Amino acid sequence: MHSWLNEIFIGLSLTSILLMVALGLAIIYGTMGVINLAHGQFVMIGAYVAWFLQSQFGIGIIVGLPLIFIAGALLGLAVERTIIQRLYTRPLDTILATWGIGIVLEQLVRGLFGSDSRYVARPEFLDGNLILAGVHMSYYRLFIIGFALLTLAVTWFLLFRTEFGTKLRAVIQNKEISECYGVSANRVYAVTFAYGAGLAAIAGALITPMVSVTPTMGTGVVVDAFLVVIVGGVGSIVGTAAAALMIGEATAWLSYLLSETTARILILLGVIVLIRFRPQGLFPDKVRR
Amino acid sequence: MNKGFAIDCIGYALFAVFVVLIIPWLANYSGYDLNVYARYLVLGMAAAAVALSWGTAGILNLGQALTFGIGSYIMAMHLKLKASEAQAGGMPDFMGWTNMEELPWFWEPFQSVSFTLAAGILIPVAIASLIGGFMFRGRITGVFVAIITLSLMLAVQLWIISEQRFTGGQNGLTGLAALELFGWSVDVYGLAFYYMVAGCLLVVLTLALLFLRSKAGLVLRAIRADPERTRFFGYDVSTYEVVAFATSAGIAGIAGMLYAMILGFASPTYMGLSLSLAFVIWAAVGGRESIVAATLGGIGVNMAEGRLSDLFFDQWTLILGVIFIVVVLFLPRGLFGLVMDLRIKLESHFMANPISRMNTSLDKHRSETTASQREGK
Amino acid sequence: MKRRDLLKGVAFAGVAGATGLGGFPGIWTGRNAAWAAGSDIPVGVLFSKTGAVAVVESTLHDACMMAIEEINDNGGINGRKIRPFVEDPASDPATFADRANRLVRRDKVVSIFGSYTSSSRQAVLPVVEGQNNLYWYPTLYEGRECSRNVMYGGAVPNQQQQDFVPWLKEKFGGRFYLLGNNYVYPREENNVARKILKGIGGEVVNEEYVPMGHDSFSSIVSKLRRDKPDVIFCTLVGDSDVAFQREYHNAGLDPKTMPVASLTRSEIEVKAIGGEAAAGHFSSAPYFMGYQSAENKKFVEAYLKKYGQDQVTHFVNEAAYSQVYQFKNAVERIGSGELKPSAIRDAAVGQRFMAPQGEIEIADNLHSYLWPKIGQWQADGQAKVLVDSKSRMAPEPYWAYEGQECTAEGLQKS
Repeated sequence: MHSWLNEIFIGLSLTSILLMVALGLAIIYGTMGVINLAHGQFVMIGAYVAWFLQSQFGIGIIVGLPLIFIAGALLGLAVERTIIQRLYTRPLDTILATWGIGIVLEQLVRGLFGSDSRYVARPEFLDGNLILAGVHMSYYRLFIIGFALLTLAVTWFLLFRTEFGTKLRAVIQNKEISECYGVSANRVYAVTFAYGAGLAAIAGALITPMVSVTPTMGTGVVVDAFLVVIVGGVGSIVGTAAAALMIGEATAWLSYLLSETTARILILLGVIVLIRFRPQGLFPDKVRR
Repeated sequence: MNKGFAIDCIGYALFAVFVVLIIPWLANYSGYDLNVYARYLVLGMAAAAVALSWGTAGILNLGQALTFGIGSYIMAMHLKLKASEAQAGGMPDFMGWTNMEELPWFWEPFQSVSFTLAAGILIPVAIASLIGGFMFRGRITGVFVAIITLSLMLAVQLWIISEQRFTGGQNGLTGLAALELFGWSVDVYGLAFYYMVAGCLLVVLTLALLFLRSKAGLVLRAIRADPERTRFFGYDVSTYEVVAFATSAGIAGIAGMLYAMILGFASPTYMGLSLSLAFVIWAAVGGRESIVAATLGGIGVNMAEGRLSDLFFDQWTLILGVIFIVVVLFLPRGLFGLVMDLRIKLESHFMANPISRMNTSLDKHRSETTASQREGK
Repeated sequence: MKRRDLLKGVAFAGVAGATGLGGFPGIWTGRNAAWAAGSDIPVGVLFSKTGAVAVVESTLHDACMMAIEEINDNGGINGRKIRPFVEDPASDPATFADRANRLVRRDKVVSIFGSYTSSSRQAVLPVVEGQNNLYWYPTLYEGRECSRNVMYGGAVPNQQQQDFVPWLKEKFGGRFYLLGNNYVYPREENNVARKILKGIGGEVVNEEYVPMGHDSFSSIVSKLRRDKPDVIFCTLVGDSDVAFQREYHNAGLDPKTMPVASLTRSEIEVKAIGGEAAAGHFSSAPYFMGYQSAENKKFVEAYLKKYGQDQVTHFVNEAAYSQVYQFKNAVERIGSGELKPSAIRDAAVGQRFMAPQGEIEIADNLHSYLWPKIGQWQADGQAKVLVDSKSRMAPEPYWAYEGQECTAEGLQKS
């Protein structure tokens, strides 16, 4: 009884991390069809900014989040303006360009800060565990779950309750006609890309207390994020959340019952089957693309 | 035949001269450099495999290294068994360490050279046919193909790493013997081996050219342009796609077999994410529309990498990254596109006969389409 | 210093684009021409500066280069300077093989110092064996290898475990949970641990392997809560070790009742884990940064002065450092004789060197006699040495395999 409640919690915790990482990617991919393989490196940069703020100025992760978001967003904006912008009509080519961007970012970070693995402390007030019905829930993981839900809500609000969101959805539905109505698609794209990159940076900062911060930490992240986005369905943030939940819980349960390796293999195979029979995703976007 | 074919032939001839005469001269006919260039040729072949499915039929396979890696393991299994003949039961050393009692049944047939050589091509082809059938019957395209092939590759890689008693795990298959073909013991540092690799590459490319120049190739190009319309014409699109996918897997399998020989081991990194993406990048740099250009892309990028790593030992990856970005931004059709654009310009200056003008205008139309896409119109 | 390298790299990018892609033979002749100083001793330095393993290998590179510079500053070996040929194999086995080939066949080095992972050593092996060169490998490894072309400077399983496992059982109990990354090293160490446990009446409650680089350990922690082992016997490496230990700490498990006993954790991992989360756990290694000896004091001071006060020394870069001196002693012994790899190897056997960990000796099976220690991690990120072995412990790479022994004539089976 305790153990399965425990696994549900672990699954939720994995879900929240997956969701944080995948959300930025989902927005970028859903809006402009750009397959951003540098997303993992944006996550890595967020982690490094968190480390830098903490080690140089003593600013903790949570206080630093706005700064980290801004840093990520500015970087995203710079990348979008200089490179991605020129590739909107060649979506498959963005795979190549963003892969190159990923290499460059990784090497720049390595050049500036070295190859060392960096340490970021967890906020002290989130130390410890909440033990409820025999389930051990660390406060920090609870915090991430809450934060992921908040991010999801903010993103949803941004898309469906603001003027920018309306413009964004208009551009997704029909770029040419929205431009006729005076919506600057380029500007919408740039802001969206920056927002996605900012989210990635925040995700990176939030995972720092759990992993080691190295220049290569982004490589593994991007694959998982992609699986979530594709399984969830293009342009649907609800789908992304559902896919994150599915993959997170499945990982928790399969790892507990079998082994980490087997769990991973089964998830990959499951994703293949899902994509084959539901390429439109779990919650497909109904609009014309 | 037509003029395009003639141009292909000239390209092939130049390429053959490059591979057969110029590279050995560059390498001073010496062991180390020849071995290095043989490796580049093999990686070029892998890039050609990517171009065959991507450039021709529009199937972007991000898991091309899967079949490449399988090819390398097949060759390594044979060479490992050969190296283990003196061991108890002819079992590879790593199996003894994991307390295996006897050689697993699926290792047995790899005692035979001819079985191994056939399997190195046919097993990748069979796997690709299955996966291809699975995907293309469901009309899966574009990024979904990319994700499926990628996921499958990662799953197989994980399996190979975890089943150490059958596969050697993370270390792969090491301590291999030299291949023996018709009593000739292959020395991978020799000129003979280099020519064997070059021969394989040229034969593969020629067969691929014939394939692409056949009606099947034409249909594949039609599919790349518009799969729906091709389907309306009554062509069985998915079968053609499977054929292209499987052919490219066979080529990757051959390349993998040669690669295991050259480096003297097979490793799970041969079916890793970064190598797989690298294949695609090389094909893009060379030009995905032409398999010879893609091959040259593979050879060229690796030559550059070898040179850059010599000059800037700790920043060469950064420089390569920058080069890729620049190529994607400014040469959407790769170096091949650059050459073709130049050719069109030259021709419109010097040619006057109506047929070539028509061809030229067609080509021009094509390049203009790409150009306008580039500008986002 | 690193920043300057970066800027230099960027500045040269344009030039490189031009020269790198040009196909003229003159440009392809390699750097031998530029370095044609006849009397120098050419050696290869083959540690990844990029890629996943760079975290550790760059520190091995640093220690190795420091030793080379020290030797050169003190007049070299018999008046000849060591000339390092530095390569970056980018944590990729195929690149390792290629660069090793380049060093051995083109640059004609007489030895290569290199690498951390088992897979990279295996990738280099065909090259050095094919050319009868010499590979100085500083890392602890799984044993069960007996090449005449590799100088094994790190510990093999018997040196890390013979004292450690019984000590753990006595202090905490005999129920072990074996946890490692999924590759040959952890599996082999666990084979040995099982064997020792069987002999002393302990048991293995679970044995689990996670993929390399795996970094989510919540499920493992809930298995630990379920199985309640006395000791977590850990052979996780790098990022996985860091993520696991942080998860363990977050989950509020207690090192007093369920300590992590690691064979791979060194100061470098603890730095990333954070001293607080690592405190109270144990490692077995021949060297710790906090070990008290005159040689170690000198080594640590020189290293921190050269590479920064935030750096650490650990049991692998200590070996990388010592191996250069062992190489020096061997070359000195050869004197005016012909300097070829096999001669260096023969001269190295039986050499003793006062290393930071104590006086080490190269055995005739080319492994090293070492001084195993048991350390307990403290909140300041340093280990307190609790047990120091009383004698140099002999390397037995085939310890767990009866009837097999690695000797000066290679592997002997009886």
